[in-house]
Amino acid sequence: MRKGLSYLAYGAAAGVLLVGASHDALRAAASAGNEKLAVFSEVFNKVRDSYVEKPDDEKLIKSAIDGMLTSLDPHSNYFDPKALQDFQSSMKGEEFGGLGLEVMMEGGLVKVVSPIDDTPAARAGMMSGDLVTRIDDTAVQGLTLKEAVDKMRGPAKSPVKLTVERGSKGDVKEFTIVREIIHVQSVRAHLEGGDIGYIRITQFNQEAYDGVRKAFDHFRTDPGSSSLKGYILDLRNNPGGLLNQAVEITNAFVDSGDIVSTRGRTPDQGQRYSARPGVNLAQDKPLVVLINGGSASASEIVSGALQDLKRATLIGTRSFGKGSVQTILPLGENGALKLTTARYYTPSGRSIQAKGIDPDIRVLENIPDDLKGKVSSMGEASLAGHLKNGDEEEKGSDAYVPPDRDKDTQLEAAVELLHGARAETLRSPDPPAAVTSQ
Amino acid sequence: MIRKTGYLGLGVVLGAAAAATAPQALLFVSPSAYAAAADTYRQLNLFGDVFDKIRNDYVEKPDESKLIEAAINGMLTSLDPHSSYMDSKAFRDMQVQTKGEFGGLGIEVTQEDGLVKVVTPIDDTPAAKAGVMSGDIITAIDDQPTQGLTLDQAVDKMRGSINSPVKLKILRGAKKEVKDFTIVRDLIHVQSVRSHVEDGDIGYIRITQFTEQTEDGLKAAMDKLHSEIPADKFKGYILDLRNNPGGLLDQSIDVVNSFVDRGEIVSTRGRTPDETQRFDAKPGGDLSGGKPLVVLINGGSASASEIVSGALQDHKRATLIGTRSFGKGSVQTIMPLGQDGALRLTTARYYTPSGRSIQAKGIEPDIKVLENVPDDLKGKDDMKGEASLKGHLANGDEDTSASQAYVPPDEKDDNQLVAAVDLLHGVKHPEPAVKADAAPAKTDPPAAATAAPAAPSDPGQAGAAKPN
Repeated sequence: MRKGLSYLAYGAAAGVLLVGASHDALRAAASAGNEKLAVFSEVFNKVRDSYVEKPDDEKLIKSAIDGMLTSLDPHSNYFDPKALQDFQSSMKGEEFGGLGLEVMMEGGLVKVVSPIDDTPAARAGMMSGDLVTRIDDTAVQGLTLKEAVDKMRGPAKSPVKLTVERGSKGDVKEFTIVREIIHVQSVRAHLEGGDIGYIRITQFNQEAYDGVRKAFDHFRTDPGSSSLKGYILDLRNNPGGLLNQAVEITNAFVDSGDIVSTRGRTPDQGQRYSARPGVNLAQDKPLVVLINGGSASASEIVSGALQDLKRATLIGTRSFGKGSVQTILPLGENGALKLTTARYYTPSGRSIQAKGIDPDIRVLENIPDDLKGKVSSMGEASLAGHLKNGDEEEKGSDAYVPPDRDKDTQLEAAVELLHGARAETLRSPDPPAAVTSQ
Repeated sequence: MIRKTGYLGLGVVLGAAAAATAPQALLFVSPSAYAAAADTYRQLNLFGDVFDKIRNDYVEKPDESKLIEAAINGMLTSLDPHSSYMDSKAFRDMQVQTKGEFGGLGIEVTQEDGLVKVVTPIDDTPAAKAGVMSGDIITAIDDQPTQGLTLDQAVDKMRGSINSPVKLKILRGAKKEVKDFTIVRDLIHVQSVRSHVEDGDIGYIRITQFTEQTEDGLKAAMDKLHSEIPADKFKGYILDLRNNPGGLLDQSIDVVNSFVDRGEIVSTRGRTPDETQRFDAKPGGDLSGGKPLVVLINGGSASASEIVSGALQDHKRATLIGTRSFGKGSVQTIMPLGQDGALRLTTARYYTPSGRSIQAKGIEPDIKVLENVPDDLKGKDDMKGEASLKGHLANGDEDTSASQAYVPPDEKDDNQLVAAVDLLHGVKHPEPAVKADAAPAKTDPPAAATAAPAAPSDPGQAGAAKPN
């Protein structure tokens, strides 16, 4: 199986990295493109010669590149060298001083995808769906996502002030939050109710698979685990990350079959990823996957594959619907490009782009009155310029997870299902014959 | 005198104009220029590299023209709020519009925080008749959200063939009341000058925007007013520039010249000698017969309107009544790009005869008079002005406060107009509408434009004929 390093996330917090081939041969054949480039050069020169003030060449070019990339789709963008470095560290799970928010750009404002557990942002009460309008009194409107993230990051113990609009009424709230070292711990695990292995993946960074493997080690050594009834894989509000991590993690639950395939315009981008035998850590214990409107991209690859392979029962609300793959294309000393290079397809051949994955059992959380209408994710189909996927696009899905475990209806439903205490049938771990697209 | 055609619009309204492109040949290159050129080359190379990667690797075959347009637009909008790219269609539209007619709704719009904001509905158009108001935020056009659209894209959606309907969703005021309008497009005549006799003895002239028609329209209006009001009864003029977003530079110069006979009108300064020019009044251009003049301005008076009111104020030729103007002190030049549309690029700042730049400051009226804004519109009609636009050219101590931009639909409620009439009639105004410091119509003799840098001619004549 050939594996490329591709990136799949819709937020900015996570990140990772990777690489693409360049196509020098194609470049040679680009005379039409060169004419277009000539138009651009002409404009660039006019601006340099005639603008009322002497412009900064570097800023002009960067703005041009940003303008060009954002015209493509909401997930393609440019990383200058510093942004690239941040992105790489974040994908490596390295530490940085920050608030602990996963964010994305929506309507020119920074939208909170989710606060990361046990971080200053989560403790201060920031919520999924919050729109950050000002950072230290600087308006966010007009900033790129990267610029906004840079403003939120800073040395540990330094304070940052966020002005936030919450919900449809746009209630304005101000938070002053003290930065901490954020360690992007992507996997947490514990025994749930004594007999269920609960694994939560917050993002698919380079440590994710190792984290999952350690979780299984932990369950194996835990005295109570011999009678494990099954596993819960919690992918709620997980915005995505690295494609290879999603593939490896899926493989930790299955022995064979296709996991995902990607298709782009170049042969490079068309690949099929299949399970390798002998690395299934979960063996044949039942599995419930939790998803919601904040589960995107790599999370959707995992849940889509496990659903198509009939390996897991999905509980929660419809997922985000990001069905595209971004590749990090290095630009030498000038940073890199994050470019959408492929769509991906689940084992049964479906694209979840702008549609999302419907859970097998739809369970809603009870949203407190003061948060009603404020904690849903609009989803891919609502993003301006998203890649189209036929007529049946779906928008909007709840993305609320109660901070209090006892109020977590979706988790409770998963536990009940594994305990046989629900009317629905738990999907049995069928053998690979269930895979349809061999 | 050479007059260059510059464009000074606040919104997308209007503006025609071809313009010279700057000379680009570099004849003598110093070593440091080589270094600079190398860096520039590196930057262009980076751009070419990104462009190629997108062409080769993007998930779908990209439209190369669109990519380049998006790049150009990204580059220009990073400069300031008035520099932008017009694709060939937008450029054509602009030219058509300059001729004075197009199928549309009749609103002047600008973009604020990514949203489309109504600067003003144009008199006697479907939009004005339907009740669209200054300050309204248009959030959707035919059910498509405007967020994410460029101003040009939004305008394109509003324009269309005559008799076709268009649906607007509008947020009004601080409470963001949502209103839906379905408006049928009509042929919009960009009638730039309107006039009538006010109170039997005052010539009222309103310029809605500075188009190619303005100079002729103004001359016709002044002729007509002179034929309607006997010279011995003629008390003076009111020039109404409220909510006039600007337009063509040469037209604003002609308008000033119709009220003054000599002296500097405006000067522009850019980085190239081309862009640095002084425009003086031509003797014999004054059609006003020396009658007193009141100019009405408000927060929606921008650009060319500010050139006119700034010059007439510096010359002490007019008394300005109303509220502080918008504060757009820059000049844009339209640079055609062959078949590929055109650039609208900020190429100069302009300075009034006394040498001041009103950029991000606006012009203070001599007599501040507020309109009574109806309760349901309070706080909804204010213009935040240039200083609040992201990326505007900086200019020292700026005024970021909002300025009123409401003009009552009914003349008798129009405090500013009433104040102007009273001033021309010599009525002392006890009402609070006119501030205590209200001056009588200016009588200063010609000393006016003294501060004008290098003003050669005696500016004095300008204010000479003013009566009490």
